[in-house]
Amino acid sequence: MNLVSLFSIALIAFLCLHHRVLASSSDFEGFDAEDDDVLDDSTELHHSLRPPLLTQSESTVLDLDPPSDSDSTTPASKSDPPTQTVKPSSISFDYWDEDEFEGLPEDEKSMESPVISDDASPAADPQTPDLESASETADTDIPKKKQSYTVEIVCVSILIGYAINYFTGKRENENLALAWASKFGLKDTIFEKNFSLLGVGEGEDSPLLLKEATNVFKFYASGRRYCHGLLATLELKSRHDLISRLFNSVVPCKDEISFEVYMNDEAMDHIVFAMARKKAAKTMHKELRDLQRFGGMVPSPGGRKWVTEELAVVSESKEVAGDMITDVVLDQVFGDKSFEKFGKYFISMHFSDQHPGKHRKMLLFKFALPDAKHMDDMVRLIALIPYYIDLIGRYKLSSQARNKTDGARQKAAQEAYKELENVRQEALQRKKAEKKKILEEAQAKLSAEALRKKEAKERARQMKKSMPKVKMSRGH
Amino acid sequence: MSHSHGNASSANDPRLPSAAKPYTPRPVAPEDLPVDYSGFIAVILGVSGVMFRYKICSWLAIIFCAQSLANMRNLENDLKQISMAMMFAIMGLVTNYLGPNRPATKK
Repeated sequence: MNLVSLFSIALIAFLCLHHRVLASSSDFEGFDAEDDDVLDDSTELHHSLRPPLLTQSESTVLDLDPPSDSDSTTPASKSDPPTQTVKPSSISFDYWDEDEFEGLPEDEKSMESPVISDDASPAADPQTPDLESASETADTDIPKKKQSYTVEIVCVSILIGYAINYFTGKRENENLALAWASKFGLKDTIFEKNFSLLGVGEGEDSPLLLKEATNVFKFYASGRRYCHGLLATLELKSRHDLISRLFNSVVPCKDEISFEVYMNDEAMDHIVFAMARKKAAKTMHKELRDLQRFGGMVPSPGGRKWVTEELAVVSESKEVAGDMITDVVLDQVFGDKSFEKFGKYFISMHFSDQHPGKHRKMLLFKFALPDAKHMDDMVRLIALIPYYIDLIGRYKLSSQARNKTDGARQKAAQEAYKELENVRQEALQRKKAEKKKILEEAQAKLSAEALRKKEAKERARQMKKSMPKVKMSRGH
Repeated sequence: MSHSHGNASSANDPRLPSAAKPYTPRPVAPEDLPVDYSGFIAVILGVSGVMFRYKICSWLAIIFCAQSLANMRNLENDLKQISMAMMFAIMGLVTNYLGPNRPATKK
């Protein structure tokens, strides 16, 4: 597909280029032709002018100088006014024409001189008009060039600005990512205390961060109980890109970091739980399949402390929601008081054992990143991650809830299986139909050919039969 | 949380070196990558710059080429489009500046 589209575009471009070249050449031709036309016109004009000029010259001998003067002073382009002045004279002196034909040769000479002067006027005639015209053309050219250069100047300056911004923005992003990594990934930091392997490479000195694009960094950690890996993706603003930077100054966006914790299969019970700000929680509930399937909005229970009102919880059951929101968490981050201080970088949290894709049991965290200088602000948020890994790793549902969730999951699994089966059957049926079609077509072809052969044979037979008859009839 | 943290570090280390698995980058299908709009715009602008002889189009195409080059994710796929757009943009500029003058300027 891609190749085809490429090829088609290239073809179009080639055609256009070809067309353009042709057009330009035709332009040239047209231009030359125009020139020729102009010359022809002028000669024709002169030819056509001859008789009237003659009459004019004859009629007013004294007047011969002024027109020639005017001709010489006015550039070639101003050959029109004389004709206009001449024409009425020709009309007025038409009656004289027959009489004045005798003087034709002489007058032709006298005629030629203005013609020559006419032709030579740009080159040989007084320099003042020429200079004037030249200066005029220069005057008209300079603003044109200035106009055309503004585009280039603007574009080149944008390009230069883009290049400069690319390098500075890239460095900014790298600094931010490094600040984060050094805050949370070096020795005696949260991740170092919780994971035995840090970084995307192998061995001790593996780099902590993997740069996937100029504004996307990845951080990997592994070797912890209950989970077999953690992948953090830092998606920073595209500071390296001037255009999106300008765009972001209108539509602000945040530096984001999202964590995926791949839980061990046996370490995670049936949990579907999500928490975010109210609007975001609603959209999550609508758009994420597992939340849609298993989850429901959990209203805040009256009896106990709950998360701040800004947040909304989506969960499979009240029990799970209540067990996930512990007093420690409320005290540290999600309570009314602490959320004001530490919650501004919180975006969402989503735990599920029913994620679509390869890893079904995953904990997802999404936070906003503070400046490089204020990385301390998100320490509590980052600390949520090992806390929840342990909490969920140890968590066991009560038997009642388990029955419910088991039922729901079995149902879901059955539905998924049915869907799969349906898809498979549809595919099978389609295949069968195609096969049938092919067979039928082949048969139709065969039968058609057989029919044709039969018909041909019959025709031949009939011809044979009819031929002698015809001959017979002829013979008769 | 800090208390659990303290617990974890003192009582039992959560780390499990035996369970450590090295990072394996997930293979990403080319269809899943974000669409390179700037490259697409650059191609369109480049072609229109060549076609209609608009200088601005060619210049904008070069700027969008730069954008898509800056946002490239080390893949051949992107490079194709970018190089094509670049080609068109440069072709447009060359025909614009080095090509035959337009009749308007000659007159």
